[in-house]
Amino acid sequence: MTELKYVITDELGIHARPAGLLVKQAAAFGSDVKIAVLDSEGNPKKLVDAKRIMGVMGLGAKQGDTISMTFEGDDEGDALNAVESFLKETL
Amino acid sequence: MFNKFKKMLGKDNKEGLVILSPVEGKAIPLKEVSDPTFGEGLLGKGMAIIPENGRVVSPVNGKVSQMFDTGHAVSIESDDGAEILIHVGLDTVKLAGKYFTKHKQDGDIIKTGDLLIEFDIEGIKSEGYDTVTPVVICNTDDFADVVSVANGGTKELDTLIEILK
Repeated sequence: MTELKYVITDELGIHARPAGLLVKQAAAFGSDVKIAVLDSEGNPKKLVDAKRIMGVMGLGAKQGDTISMTFEGDDEGDALNAVESFLKETL
Repeated sequence: MFNKFKKMLGKDNKEGLVILSPVEGKAIPLKEVSDPTFGEGLLGKGMAIIPENGRVVSPVNGKVSQMFDTGHAVSIESDDGAEILIHVGLDTVKLAGKYFTKHKQDGDIIKTGDLLIEFDIEGIKSEGYDTVTPVVICNTDDFADVVSVANGGTKELDTLIEILK
């Protein structure tokens, strides 16, 4: 399993469009991908399947929030790299 | 026309789910929506409505999954498992809540026809935003297909979409 952490910089956070785009990235890989918003102590507030739009939108991730994503499966390294570039470009 | 369509599907698809229109207006195919997030089906299949009355009501019995803080969108999980997103206007997240009034919150149990959001159509237009309102099934992949039923003039709670299991 691999993990990445990312701080949301987009002022609108993960609303409908970025949620859809993020799910599309995650769903392109066979690995299980999960996403959570972390609280101030670094614990996940809510953990959801990053391949389901409703779950990702429902995180309500805002500018300044730290998200954690985990990848588990044969292509977990590629999945992490693709999602990481997407996050940096978009969010 | 709807009855005929229902009859066509009805006998062989007793398990199909019907999603009613949450908004009064003109129903159009989702692919006619200029925002590719919706037009290309990124968030799922569905339809869009050009609203003529600034009200969003629940299209199903179910639960509010998420009332967006800004009131421009709401997602609903229906009792029979459809995950529905109703998004009032395009890019309207940028209005940060202006022209939108929320009537429900996350987790509320809702019945078909319950008022969810009121919005000011003219106000939204006056700031240069398109008010077209996509209604999409976010978990389209969980079903055999999502079929558009309505076409043109649509009242609240007319049949809008049929989901085939």
